[in-house]
Amino acid sequence: MRGLDHNRLASAIYGLAGVILFLLLWEFIGRNRVLGSTWPAFTDVVSYLFDPRRNGLFQRASTATLSKAAGGFALGTFLGLVTASGVHVFPLLRPGTDRLSSFLHSVPAIALAPIFLIFVPRDFVGMAIATMNAYFIVYIAATSGLNNSTKSHRDVFTVLGASRLHRLTLLDLPAALPPVVTGLKYAVSAAIVGAIIGEWFGASRGLGVLIVSAMQNYQISLLWAAVLIITVVSLVFYGLGTLAEKFIYRRFT
Amino acid sequence: MLDSTNQTETAIDIEAVSRVFRLNNGKDLTALDRIDLKIKEGEFVALLGPSGCGKSTMLRLVAALDTPSSGSISIEGSDPRDLARDHRLGVAFQDHALLPWLTIRANIGLPYRLAGRKTDDARVASLIELVGLKGFEDSRPSQLSGGMRQRASIARALVLQPDVLLLDEPFGALDAVTRRHMNVELQRIWGENKITTLLVTHSVDEALFLADRVIVMSARPGRIFKEMQIPFARPRAPEVQREARFHELVDELTLALEPEGH
Repeated sequence: MRGLDHNRLASAIYGLAGVILFLLLWEFIGRNRVLGSTWPAFTDVVSYLFDPRRNGLFQRASTATLSKAAGGFALGTFLGLVTASGVHVFPLLRPGTDRLSSFLHSVPAIALAPIFLIFVPRDFVGMAIATMNAYFIVYIAATSGLNNSTKSHRDVFTVLGASRLHRLTLLDLPAALPPVVTGLKYAVSAAIVGAIIGEWFGASRGLGVLIVSAMQNYQISLLWAAVLIITVVSLVFYGLGTLAEKFIYRRFT
Repeated sequence: MLDSTNQTETAIDIEAVSRVFRLNNGKDLTALDRIDLKIKEGEFVALLGPSGCGKSTMLRLVAALDTPSSGSISIEGSDPRDLARDHRLGVAFQDHALLPWLTIRANIGLPYRLAGRKTDDARVASLIELVGLKGFEDSRPSQLSGGMRQRASIARALVLQPDVLLLDEPFGALDAVTRRHMNVELQRIWGENKITTLLVTHSVDEALFLADRVIVMSARPGRIFKEMQIPFARPRAPEVQREARFHELVDELTLALEPEGH
């Protein structure tokens, strides 16, 4: 156990050192204009971001983007789980649904956005793309996870005369939970990316809108500040997902 | 449940059952060759044989996990499938097959949920006590030892008071000492229920100590070539295993298991 703690501490120190090194390098490149004027110093971005006059702006934009991402994540997860359960109970539907999902996923979201624009209000395009991105990851994780149960567990359920519904709810879904949680972890970032791409197509507010407007008006610090918010938020959710994953794997396997 | 006056009635009727597997190379493997076996109500029968003799296949056929290539199996006059569907079958495998995300109590109560019945908490509690897992109700399988998991698995098999109990090497993965101990426990538990039981094992001692009748099978093709009524009275104390008569029977069965010509 002590050896394990030691390893964990060492890897935390290495990780922290890596982050500090990265930020120092960022600062150095920005200060000395090594990569030109479009690479600002880290401290400039941070002071721009935490300027009290812009609090409202960043808050509104973040709330808008994150609620689109959250809505898309929730809806995509729901659709992914329901569809995966459906094709699991009716395997005849599986190959077609697999192919349709892969096809939709292989079309770049940026190409689909204008089509979504025709069907949903401008401010929902982000959520629609976030939904699609989350759906695909959750669907793939769930369809493979639902076949996770071991043969001996399936035998026990057969011998005990379990119905299809019981087999799904009491065996296959719980057995699928670990890979599904891993999928959810990746679906969060995919949903955030989807929301931002969607916002490029005429949303009224959001981090994606800030990015586009900063690019068009050459506001380098604003651009980097928006990207920094997105990165930090994604990393926080990824970290939470990793914690949830650890807990679920310990309990469900 | 049938009343105890019907002790001599046939519970499991296996008639001319064969099971042929088609191998990848296109050849056929006869795992079971025209097996005839009748098991009486409340009888404990052990299927003994070397690995690959088809004894597990036999058990899977009775458990309705597989279907015979020819011949028929009926349990209390109906198809094994009906017995499973009516939740009247109890099974414990070598792999305990407890659900890792449920507590021991929930695992043992699982058959109630699958039968769509309200869990009888008192029954679950009494079985937990019977198999000696009191105090571990809220533990998860991963927190228990191998022997404790097998006991939980046997409790789960018994909880609905099944008409037929099928045991496939339930202690096969345990060490010799734990295994002997578990056999003593199983003998005691079985004595309190007297359920028609089919045990598959390759351990001569286990078969002799637990069963009323031992069926010895030979491999390729799987056939019955010896039957033995076990004379020891019940309940059987562990000391039975040290009697001279026990050792004689062990020798006889061990000899029977030797490949021909030895």
